[in-house]
Amino acid sequence: MATPVLEVRDLKTYFYTDDGAVKAVDGVSFEVGAGETLGIVGESGCGKSVTSLSILRLIASPPGKIVGGEIRFEGVNLLDLPDAAMRKIRGNEISMIFQEPMTSLNPVYTCGDQIMEAVILHQKVGKKEARQRAIEMLRLVGIPSPEQRVDEYPHQLSGGMRQRVMIAMALSCHPRVLIADEPTTALDVTIQAQILDLLNRLQAELGMSILLITHDLGVVAETCDRVAVMYAGQIVEYANVDEIFHHPRMPYTAGLLGSIPVLGEHHERLKVIPGNVPNPSEFPSGCKFHPRCPVAIDRCKSENPELLEIRPGHMARCLRAGEVEAGTLDLARAFAGTGEVAS
Amino acid sequence: MIESTNAPGREGSAKTGELLLSVKDLKKYFPIRKGLFANTVGQVKAVDGVSFDVARGEVLGLVGESGCGKTTTGRVILRLIEATAGQVLFEGKDVLALGKRDLRAIRREMQIVFQDPYSSLNPRLTVGSMIEEALAIHKLASGAKAKERVAELLTLVGLSPAHARRYPHEFSGGQRQRIGVARALAVDPKLIIADEPVSALDVSIQAQILNLLKDLKKDLGLTYIFIAHDLAVVEHISDRVAVMYLGRIVELAGSRPLYAEPRHPYTRALLSAIPVAEPSRQKERIVLTGDVPSPAKPPPGCPFHPRCFMAKERCKTDVPLLREIKPDHWSACHFAEEMS
Repeated sequence: MATPVLEVRDLKTYFYTDDGAVKAVDGVSFEVGAGETLGIVGESGCGKSVTSLSILRLIASPPGKIVGGEIRFEGVNLLDLPDAAMRKIRGNEISMIFQEPMTSLNPVYTCGDQIMEAVILHQKVGKKEARQRAIEMLRLVGIPSPEQRVDEYPHQLSGGMRQRVMIAMALSCHPRVLIADEPTTALDVTIQAQILDLLNRLQAELGMSILLITHDLGVVAETCDRVAVMYAGQIVEYANVDEIFHHPRMPYTAGLLGSIPVLGEHHERLKVIPGNVPNPSEFPSGCKFHPRCPVAIDRCKSENPELLEIRPGHMARCLRAGEVEAGTLDLARAFAGTGEVAS
Repeated sequence: MIESTNAPGREGSAKTGELLLSVKDLKKYFPIRKGLFANTVGQVKAVDGVSFDVARGEVLGLVGESGCGKTTTGRVILRLIEATAGQVLFEGKDVLALGKRDLRAIRREMQIVFQDPYSSLNPRLTVGSMIEEALAIHKLASGAKAKERVAELLTLVGLSPAHARRYPHEFSGGQRQRIGVARALAVDPKLIIADEPVSALDVSIQAQILNLLKDLKKDLGLTYIFIAHDLAVVEHISDRVAVMYLGRIVELAGSRPLYAEPRHPYTRALLSAIPVAEPSRQKERIVLTGDVPSPAKPPPGCPFHPRCFMAKERCKTDVPLLREIKPDHWSACHFAEEMS
């Protein structure tokens, strides 16, 4: 891997509520290389969004607090920076796009104004030049007749167009890192394909790194170089995309892959992960996945396994990952009892 | 029996039995009102001439992007929204012409499961009383017998009878969707319209609910109209699939032929747009340009032509009709035969 642009070490973000401390992110480490796309994948409540918000220090405090760890951007720990210095990074060096283009654009400003704001603030250019930049950005993200659109309000645009405006805004200062939190979840599939294509093209042109947060394994497979799978506030598997999809070493990853219907493959029943996604305020003891795991043993109830390198570049958090690696435990078969293949 | 001359036929109707529901040329136009006196200035043609048949025991998938009219179609069939024109025949009875009393009787036969398990359950009612309410309205059971039936239904959907005393907020999304299914099943319906039943759920929970719906269908002999935007999910559960675009069906075929050999460019583009959970597969993607046009101002000719990669002159003026291009495979494209 190339030298990391962004390095997260043992990040811990807790929320202090009436029911006690909720460990939303509990010791997460990863790095994003230059020009690379890292996917963070997981279900609701796994801590993927809190992780991304923590990087930009956008966690509302109280109730939330980053209680430990380091976030190194080009060697500098962002958690040590004063607020003013942090503002110079946010939206400039590291920027973010959100899931809901409807609620994350300001309805009372034109698209142009919102793009220009970041440019004027960070790049120290005049209004006229900023407007030119905004038009350029809108053209770059594939918005037709950008000279007109620049003066339109968000409500005049469709969902896909709004997401393009969000991307234009995020990229207007040529960030080194783009954090994309479920950028296509609210969009229709044909529009999703357009936006993913656009992100891929812009990444190649501008050479930025992308941290992609999603629950959609299909999106991960098509866009990411490496993947971190999160469950209950922790990374449970971390490897390059081929390894994750072809040699999952953590039962949760294997279960997730088995539970999605695949076009053109006909199974009578889907494999399932039993039970429910745990609530962050009551994560189980030991390995947090053990109540839903078909291969859990007694030790899993009390011991929280560490994230260990199972094979070069492939980390997994499972007491039995070694058995899977050695071929004495078949995860695909472990979930097979939950559904059978018909044809 | 009803004859259905203009409605697309049913694949495998011989093995799945007779016709249960027949929808003919269904239309729902919503008026656009403007100004002080709320004058009607236009119409949103949400559903614009939809016809299909559903055989007893089959699953018909209704798939399309937002605004294509799939949800409105489902609601018009149940008369949760009144149709503008067309016919809905359920076991030969014209649903759209029924009076209040007959409508209530027929709603026992047709039930709906909603998308959002958070807003579709009354937060002030326990799960038990919610299901008992359905039993009481249709005078099916009361007292101890109703309690027994609730316990039976909860077990059927994979919950425990003890859950009857709890409130919706005590359950997770997947459990709530199970409650929604139990409530729909309470009146012993023949047809269930499932409107995006899994799209609000986590990936690992979706599979549980899909398996449950499949099991219930087999055990209770149910018929489903399964509405969703996720083609992989629809393909998994459906026998036949209708693809909708701007209020119309553009393709209707058995689920396997539809996915293996789509005969409408929109279906092809939709299929190619789905990201596949297989990193080594390099697929050729048809990226459609532009957005879905507004149903208030549908383009002339073929509604898909401005985004179509195959469009020719003719498509700008001639509206293609849904026609059977080979047995049980219907397409609304002038050039359906050329696609293979």
